[in-house]
Amino acid sequence: MNNRSQSRWTRGLLTALVVAGVTAAGVAPRHAQAQQPRAVVNLSFWSWVPNLNTSVDLFNRTHPGIHVTWNKVVAGNLGTYAKMFAALKANNAPDLGQVEYQFLPTFEATGGLVDMAPYGASAYKNQFVPWTWSQSTLGNQVFAIPQDSGPMAMYYRADLFAKYHIAVPTTWAQYAAAAVKLHQADPNLAITDFPPRDAGWFIGLLWQRGARLFRVNGNAWKVAINDSNATAVAQYWQTMLSKKLVKTDPDFTQGWFKDLQTGGAATWLSAVWGANTIIDNATGTAGKWRVAPMPQWTAGASVYGNWGGSTTVVFKSTKHPKEATAFAEFLNSNTGSVVKMIDPLKGAALYPALKAGLDQPAVVQPVTFYGGQRINTVFNAASAKVDVNFQWGPTMDQVFADMSDDFSNAVNGKITLVQALNQLQQSTVAHMQKSGFTVQQ
Amino acid sequence: MAVQAAPRAPTAANRLQPRRRSRRGQATPYLFILPFGLLFLLFFLLPIGYAVVQSLLSSKRSGLGLGAPTTVFNGLGNFGDAMHDPAFYAGVGRVLLYGVVQVPIMLGVAFILALLMDSTVIRFKNFFRLAFFIPYAIPGVVGALLWTFLYDPQFSPIVSLIHHAGLTSFDFLGENTILWSIANIVTWEWTGYNMIILFAALQAIPGEVYEAARMDGCTGIGVARYIKAPLVAPALVLTCVLSIIGTLQTFTEPQVLSGISNNISTSFMPNVYAYNQAFNANNYYYAATLAVILALVTFVFSFGFLRLTQRYSGV
Repeated sequence: MNNRSQSRWTRGLLTALVVAGVTAAGVAPRHAQAQQPRAVVNLSFWSWVPNLNTSVDLFNRTHPGIHVTWNKVVAGNLGTYAKMFAALKANNAPDLGQVEYQFLPTFEATGGLVDMAPYGASAYKNQFVPWTWSQSTLGNQVFAIPQDSGPMAMYYRADLFAKYHIAVPTTWAQYAAAAVKLHQADPNLAITDFPPRDAGWFIGLLWQRGARLFRVNGNAWKVAINDSNATAVAQYWQTMLSKKLVKTDPDFTQGWFKDLQTGGAATWLSAVWGANTIIDNATGTAGKWRVAPMPQWTAGASVYGNWGGSTTVVFKSTKHPKEATAFAEFLNSNTGSVVKMIDPLKGAALYPALKAGLDQPAVVQPVTFYGGQRINTVFNAASAKVDVNFQWGPTMDQVFADMSDDFSNAVNGKITLVQALNQLQQSTVAHMQKSGFTVQQ
Repeated sequence: MAVQAAPRAPTAANRLQPRRRSRRGQATPYLFILPFGLLFLLFFLLPIGYAVVQSLLSSKRSGLGLGAPTTVFNGLGNFGDAMHDPAFYAGVGRVLLYGVVQVPIMLGVAFILALLMDSTVIRFKNFFRLAFFIPYAIPGVVGALLWTFLYDPQFSPIVSLIHHAGLTSFDFLGENTILWSIANIVTWEWTGYNMIILFAALQAIPGEVYEAARMDGCTGIGVARYIKAPLVAPALVLTCVLSIIGTLQTFTEPQVLSGISNNISTSFMPNVYAYNQAFNANNYYYAATLAVILALVTFVFSFGFLRLTQRYSGV
């Protein structure tokens, strides 16, 4: 190519690039300026609850001006929370999302949640189980509508207890004694698994004992992760660990599911949603499991803890907070919608936070897998006795991570669980102060 | 060295003709690399710049803090925090220990395999070349997941074999063994890749060198030690630098194994720590700081290693 045609070719290429760029830039604004008729409000909703389409369709049918699209995402801890935080930072979060109670203060601390009180959400207060409402609100501000809850009880292998003539424990002292008897009878069995990296589980146990890890004191946080109640629970489990009466595998892994199947773990202290975990992953043990109330610290008491449960929130970047609030309220309080979510086969087998939902036949029906026991009557009784004053802190992600690391060290024998709690208290206070929260100890 | 042509002295004839070099023609090479340049700018330089800027910021709140925080300029404050962070030091120490053991072993094995492939005594070379390379072709996450089943005491055929052989059961995921279990996975995955690079370098050695060595009486191991190894040194240095860079950034294997083991803390290795800070703890600014520090450490190590081996690497 000689110089002249070379330069002509170059000029042509440059011109083409520039024209393409200008055209592309020019097309976009023109679309936005086009006149649109009175448009349907489109909302997006991120949730990992299965089969939500039935409730969402019900809402769309009964609210012609609003169209909600449900995006099924993975569980919050498996990546959706990270996506939500990133989307909030980029200001393009969905209109609505599912957030568990323990992370509500963390989301509030990003300023990413819409206060739904101005849109009439406060009127729903008395429809929900009291502790769920108190964890969804801050003073007069309503940051979430409760959806479900996770009261805890004890799933146990009735056949193993009968085989080794061990009475089903009703107190923690009896539980420890049963652990010793079981282990002596068969060294391959353990009364349960102690997963050091599942902080939500352990905090449910602390909740039962009445530990108040975080408190709001005016304009400051009072942090007491190692208060006397928490220390007592840690001491109890340290004894179990030291005597090697429990396994220490991570939970919800293939190996842990195998233990459920083979009886490697004779009990599982878990929430109401754990019923399906066992059904799904230990099908061979149908008929062998039963549900009993959580062991108590004092004989005759009835206090329970909670593990999990989630809410529906409206994110700050939404352009239609009023309509989004209407959907959140409908999804979790409309009887038709809640009944669809409760359905164990076609819904999500949800355990509702709506008080009226707890009486629904689908909730209290007998469950064949558990030998025909109406397992949810145990959970209904527990739900009514969950401490309403329990408060989550604004940095639960850091608390969970540090608790996992510290408890793993305890399980390896480097420190005791009580020392782990003390370390956790120090690191949490330090982290909160560094992040600018006002902390009292 | 190629013989360079002597520059043409301006003769009388040349001086009479006007210079015909078009200035616009000089832009052509840059136009050709423009697509790559744009993508490099968009996906490499801009994110790196963004991360550096983020590492200089931090978020501040007050009181209960249940509202949006404000972003303030923190200068080198984040870097100061990282310097005083024991979890970070533990992670860096761990990754250095891991690197010091794993990289020499992996490259040693790769070099021996390359020598074997280059020798005349091995049959079915094509099969072995493919077999050793296949672990590299498997995506890292898939490979790590495969190995979780070989490590998990409930499912592992290796563990049950050891158990049946009468030895005390071996815990691959224990506190003291998890690091080397990860090293095992990484070695399995990358040895083939390094072997291919070294093998290619060995193939490039001209046959006359071997002839000359044979005439001087050098045979067998001597050929490997005195002829092949020095001539392959540049490729060895290359694979070493790549391995150092890769090792300092180890992430996939600890992340996958953290699902089945209690012994992978949230700050197990620097990259894991940065990931958890960004996506689990929402400390975007601190995570950016950790990433920048990791990049600087990687730069120092790889550049320093190249300097050290300048004699051999030809760089």
